[in-house]
Amino acid sequence: MGPEVLQKKLEEEVDSYKKLQKDLSKTTSLRSQLDGQLNENKVVKEELDVINEENVVYKLIGPALIRQDLEEARQNVAKRVDYIQQEIKRHEGTMERLEKESESKRDSITKLQQQMQQILVKQMAK
Amino acid sequence: MAASNKTSGPQVIDISKLNLEQLTSLKNQLDQELQFFNESLQQLKIAQLKFNESGDCVETITPESKGKVVLVPLTSCMYVPGSIADAEKLLIDVGTGYYVEQDVTGAKDYFTRKVKFVTEQMEKIQKIASEKSRLREVVMDMMEMKLDQQLAVIQQQQGVAKA
Repeated sequence: MGPEVLQKKLEEEVDSYKKLQKDLSKTTSLRSQLDGQLNENKVVKEELDVINEENVVYKLIGPALIRQDLEEARQNVAKRVDYIQQEIKRHEGTMERLEKESESKRDSITKLQQQMQQILVKQMAK
Repeated sequence: MAASNKTSGPQVIDISKLNLEQLTSLKNQLDQELQFFNESLQQLKIAQLKFNESGDCVETITPESKGKVVLVPLTSCMYVPGSIADAEKLLIDVGTGYYVEQDVTGAKDYFTRKVKFVTEQMEKIQKIASEKSRLREVVMDMMEMKLDQQLAVIQQQQGVAKA
């Protein structure tokens, strides 16, 4: 393989590596955002579990407070917690996949760089 | 939370076996984590203050408050007079758009509980943060040692070259 071909391949690999890194950081920030939402919902769930039927629950929908059934509110929040947990799992799967991919990319980049170096050394020797 | 898992993981790394580059990246990582913890602590402190303040406000509401005239903020700089129609029921924002109607004791209870929760979280973070900063110090010491070693090797080589 000539140095030009190698150079081109290396550039391609670096580009795709950069893209992977970008995806990874995007997924990571989404994941931590979900973590925050999960915590908030958990806190709300705890609060709804503490109160009893005498307490009236309202939900803010748009600018208006709408009266809600306590049991319904509990179910809603529990459902949301479940959903967020699923989302977190999904994002963690994506993160794992991206990490693996970027690791193998890094390896192939190092290999290509070594090949380039060898070629350069050979050329210098000539 | 994820950061605490890393240190307690099954993989134990002897930092004396790491090279300078690895130590530097480890130190950078620790720096980032420490910064994150400090930011979180600050946010928690703000939350604690808010809950404390709200708790204090609840304290001032008694059954005698009923009918008293208050100024209700319409915007941050415009107020209209109003009177307290019901001094027994308070509406508390518990998060994610849910509001719960509570009596004064319930509200007080809620805020004390919240302050306690936030304080507990702060203590947890403080513990982790001090652990991390200790680890960071160890890494820094190790880096210094490695640097000294490298310097000594270079000086030795220069000495040999001169001789």
